Amino acid sequence: GSLGHPQNLKCVTHNLHKMVCAWDVSSRRRHGQTDFCYTTKLWSLKQKRMKLSLVQTSLRERGFVFQLAKHPLIISQYRRGIVFLMFTPATPRILSLTPDFSTSTLSLKWSDSGSVFPYGLDAFWQIQVLRKETMEKVTEVTYHSKLTHEDIVLSWNWTSDLPLECMSHYVKIRCYINVTQFVGLKDWSDWSPVEVIHGKDTDPSGSGVFPLDTVVAVGSDVTFCCVHEEGQNITNMTYGSKPYPMIQLSSRSNAIRVLNASASDTSGTNVVCRFNNGMLEGTVLFVGYAPDTPQNLSCETPNFRIIKCTWKPGRPSGLYGKRRTKYSLFERTSGKNVSCEVNEMNRERVCGFPVMPDQKIYDFILGVSNPIGQTESSLLVDITQRVHPKTPEKLTVSGNNSTSVHLRWFINGSFAEIRLLCQIEISSGHSEEKLHNVSMRGGKLSAYTAQLNALHPYTKYQFRVRCSAADHFWRWSDWSRIEEYTTSEA
Amino acid sequence: MAGADSPSAALQRRDLCARGIRLAGKMRADVVDLLEAYAERQGLDASASVAAVEGVPAAAVERWDEQTGTQRLVENLAAYRAFRALLAQMLEEHREQLGEADAALGRALAAVLLQVSAFAYHLEELLRLESRGPPAEEEEEDEEEEEEADGPPPQPLGLFEQKLRGLGVLRELAQWAVRSARDLRQLAKPSPGSGSA
Repeated sequence: GSLGHPQNLKCVTHNLHKMVCAWDVSSRRRHGQTDFCYTTKLWSLKQKRMKLSLVQTSLRERGFVFQLAKHPLIISQYRRGIVFLMFTPATPRILSLTPDFSTSTLSLKWSDSGSVFPYGLDAFWQIQVLRKETMEKVTEVTYHSKLTHEDIVLSWNWTSDLPLECMSHYVKIRCYINVTQFVGLKDWSDWSPVEVIHGKDTDPSGSGVFPLDTVVAVGSDVTFCCVHEEGQNITNMTYGSKPYPMIQLSSRSNAIRVLNASASDTSGTNVVCRFNNGMLEGTVLFVGYAPDTPQNLSCETPNFRIIKCTWKPGRPSGLYGKRRTKYSLFERTSGKNVSCEVNEMNRERVCGFPVMPDQKIYDFILGVSNPIGQTESSLLVDITQRVHPKTPEKLTVSGNNSTSVHLRWFINGSFAEIRLLCQIEISSGHSEEKLHNVSMRGGKLSAYTAQLNALHPYTKYQFRVRCSAADHFWRWSDWSRIEEYTTSEA
Repeated sequence: MAGADSPSAALQRRDLCARGIRLAGKMRADVVDLLEAYAERQGLDASASVAAVEGVPAAAVERWDEQTGTQRLVENLAAYRAFRALLAQMLEEHREQLGEADAALGRALAAVLLQVSAFAYHLEELLRLESRGPPAEEEEEDEEEEEEADGPPPQPLGLFEQKLRGLGVLRELAQWAVRSARDLRQLAKPSPGSGSA
């Protein structure tokens, strides 16, 4: 431009209320003044920058920017110019960047400063994750949100393929807002200052193998790194007993990548980093399966005091101790939740749930979880139709006369809610076993009796008894012990 | 040891020493078996080099010949009390990490812990015979007070470090069993000046 005139005038607004204009002045005319005229006002200025309010009324008319373009800003008495007002959002503010080392996840939170803008605008957030001091870009995502005329805290999670301890991670964010009623130039905001999560390789005393004692599913690919102190040299890194090629991440951090990990032993697979001074550092990886959905979930009551649920667990998870698969039984009607004590080494799975007062229908959800996954099975059951009494005890036989006997036995449990059906097996040396069915009212912790007639005099008999629910048969109890009795002579 | 022994005390000490030597021999054999099983089940190289494990008294001792009988017994007792605590911790960690999954290793660990406890009790018997009595065991609280004085509790060990520490504890225990047998043989010698205070 001509000598000494203000050059490169740029006007930017971050919020459509205020704008900041800035221009250059050639060095030979630095101490002079610039006259700045906008709409009907004129300012005479020493500095090269000016903040002023935008004319709100015209902003709300679609044509404002067009009008600006037609009615040039009078830059100075001697120079007319045209400026295209640029809209760029203010630089976003990162509120927090939180690492979860156990899952190698970064959690980013920032404010969308939505209160500045009208309702419902589309906002786009570009987030970059970088690594190493050289800020190598690892990932860049664009995240969309709607502004709601309030300042909302937004969050975004990112899971690294590399343990966060292995090297420093940096995050920055910028934003683009589609201000529909402003048809002038729009651009991305500036990048926010970077937030950093330091790797252990920047901690003078930081050392170790990472991730530390983690659990993954069979078939996973896992990257391990060995962070060592200055001056130490790694001779090799092994997974289980197999050495792996090392990848240098930084001067104090080397990594190996294990692909398609297979199930580990009960004590886990050791990942060992050997140093030239003979010392070892290591971590343990547990590789297993998410729990299978329990099959054949079945619940019954032996005594109307406890409900016993059993199920088939499916494929073993391969995880033990505090990482084992855990079961809990939740009953929707009562809202009660019971955690089940299960021995992972034996295949049978049983869980007890208390019978609730005045409740017959139970809506069970068996929840199953381990560090790799979770699942559940459900069952709706009327326990009066799922009675599996305990073995009858203390069976006694007494004689009335030479052809009839009186049997008495005891069943532990309270069956007052139902009728019982009991079956008596009668056997004697010289005739086939006979079964005699008898039904009776259930009692509470009580004894039951039956009379058998038409027996042979002076004959040795063996009796045993089992019981079940009379109205809704579910399962017989086990047989009682056999009781022998010889009828009296005729 | 206090003054020359009476014949019955000397006899009793020799008997206790003889039984102690047998206990140490049995313990050593069991510890060596356990060490092998432990290394294999934990996926470790049995010959892996392990840094000195904190809280494990070293079996190697300088000028072993010059030690008095009481010194031998006191050092042995301190070592086996330390091993008792360390093995109890290993057993707890085993249950937490493996639950029922490796019950055999758990039983073997518990068996060695039992032997170590029995051996410690045996040493206390010998010290009582010295009419000196065993030093009182440091109460749990004392240790906690020390920890508070030293600042925040140490970072929990990673599992691999736990495994290595277990290896180090069992190795050192096997060495101690050898040393204890030698110490008890020394104590059992009839000469009047044998290791008395």
